[in-house]
Amino acid sequence: MAYKPSLRRKSDELDMELDIRPVMNLMVVLIPLLIAGAEWVKLGIIEINVPPAKTGGPGTGDDQNEQKEQAKKLGLTIAVSETGITIGNAGMILSGEKGEGPTVERKEDGSYDYAVFREKLIEIKKKIIGQGFVDENRAVLTASADIEYQIIVDIMDNLQTYKDDEEKVHALFPEINFSKILQ
Amino acid sequence: MAFQPSKSKKNLKEEEGALNMNSMMDMMTIILLFLLKSFSTEGALITPSEQLRLPVSQQGEKPKKELTVSIAKNSLMVNDAVIMDVADIGKEVMLIPPLASRLSDYAAQEHELEIDVGKEFTHEVIIEGDEKIPFELLFKVMYTCSKTEFYKMRLLTVKKGS
Repeated sequence: MAYKPSLRRKSDELDMELDIRPVMNLMVVLIPLLIAGAEWVKLGIIEINVPPAKTGGPGTGDDQNEQKEQAKKLGLTIAVSETGITIGNAGMILSGEKGEGPTVERKEDGSYDYAVFREKLIEIKKKIIGQGFVDENRAVLTASADIEYQIIVDIMDNLQTYKDDEEKVHALFPEINFSKILQ
Repeated sequence: MAFQPSKSKKNLKEEEGALNMNSMMDMMTIILLFLLKSFSTEGALITPSEQLRLPVSQQGEKPKKELTVSIAKNSLMVNDAVIMDVADIGKEVMLIPPLASRLSDYAAQEHELEIDVGKEFTHEVIIEGDEKIPFELLFKVMYTCSKTEFYKMRLLTVKKGS
């Protein structure tokens, strides 16, 4: 009877495998760490550049004083109140559908009608563009004392830019000044 | 003559069920690279809390870290240090004195830095307001900021649809 083949003969075939356990450990630690540090909420900023305060309050919408006389000024003012949004300037107020009250009335469910508001602004912008107003990009925003911040931000969203039918973004009145209603 | 089947070899072949980790490693590597790419080293700009919920906006540029003035529902903060309670702000005053003095300190510091090491004073301030604060309060804070040389204001918002 022949001997049975030696079991040791196979032992020179080294069965090597890369030990990936340390790498796995590293991954397991790193991934939660990076997920925790990742930016989940995208933040944005709205720029407001007020001329340095010397006299008077901020956001009075005045350009340099020496230009005051000869320059044509639009002085567009947006006023937000409990009843709606009023668009006007120093001389006149754009009247609403009923002929009185705010230009864009508040909807029945309590929200402001931004679509109509934007349409009116686009209309104004088209009329005044190229007419040589020094402040054709400027609007003064004012509101009643208890209007919420979110509404102000919504108004600014609609005031600064608009999208046309081809999804192109156009500037409307990107320079916003703030003002306070004198009561 | 055939060998008699070995009795010791019969039990030798143990099932070696090694988990195949290759695909998992691939996945992990991709996730790791992706997360490393989106990792920001600038640090958190805001400390989210129930008292400070930022308003939602459609637009806005990427914010940089600057001096922050936060208007929460109950308190007023500069760089996360509480200055005063919102309830303590007088009805009639426009300027908020504690905020003004703190901001003046920062402005003086910035001026010193500008002279000493040439770091430019940007006059920028980030205003973080809660979405529910009234316009009057926001306006008072903005007025105070502009009076204390921080006239380039940025309103911090959360971008919609991201």
